[in-house]
Amino acid sequence: MLLGYIMEVVKNRSVAEGYLTDVFSSLNINDLGKITADGQGSTYCRLQQHTRSKLTSFINAVDDCPDSPVSKISGQNKIISQMNDEQQTVFCGVHYHGKSVAILSRELNKSSDEIKQILKQSFNIIRSNRK
Amino acid sequence: MIHQYINSGILEAYVTGSASETEVEELLRMKARHPEVNIALQELEADMEFLAGRMAVMPPARTWDKISDEIDEIMLREKKEVSKFRPANQPTEETIPPAGPTYIEVEGASSHMRIHKAWRWVFAAVFVLGKIFLAFAIYFYLENRQAQTQLNELKTEIQQLKGKH
Repeated sequence: MLLGYIMEVVKNRSVAEGYLTDVFSSLNINDLGKITADGQGSTYCRLQQHTRSKLTSFINAVDDCPDSPVSKISGQNKIISQMNDEQQTVFCGVHYHGKSVAILSRELNKSSDEIKQILKQSFNIIRSNRK
Repeated sequence: MIHQYINSGILEAYVTGSASETEVEELLRMKARHPEVNIALQELEADMEFLAGRMAVMPPARTWDKISDEIDEIMLREKKEVSKFRPANQPTEETIPPAGPTYIEVEGASSHMRIHKAWRWVFAAVFVLGKIFLAFAIYFYLENRQAQTQLNELKTEIQQLKGKH
């Protein structure tokens, strides 16, 4: 699953495999403790957040996708393609580009509450596919 | 009130790591106080896992070996790093016995065994020595058999000579 996420970010299988190796190789005891801690929620989500932080330099170098995020991010992802452009921009911004709500708020000239609501709508679409 | 908080979108921001530090602190407080927040977070994490599952890509078989090799190298490097000076009479972490009971895992879940790479030279040496000993054994066996044949021939000749006299 993690390789799929990294591939969506870097768009290159061999580069993604390299990052996957780096992510696991660079885990230290503290990281493992945080990722696998009981009561801290999904281990996968913790690992994905750790990966996102490791990919920050790459994410910063990669182009944003405000105009047509679906074409760049979700080539084969039917779920994200169900989101409208605004929802894709917000969801892809936080999920793939590691942007904070505050940054997106400035970029899209919307309030933080509005960004969070758009993000919530994106999750509603994911959930409607899950259930 | 709590439903308003859950529906504010802050939980989604937290799960995607895009919430501010203040929001994270507030959320952790709310999570501790209200089980509904925890349940909502679990649902959101399940959504994230579902999305990841839909985009899952199987890593090639060699990836884990690559990761394993890199971790081994890092561990070896860390062991060789210069350690902090301690007086001779001061016990180090290695010399202090662990508090709990110590035991060796005799039967692990895995059917594979991992050993240090240095052992490959030992195995190679054992293999080569084995071949040398085998060659010597065959040589001396053949030599012995030839000597036995010659000995039997000599005995026969001696008996024949004795018979003539």
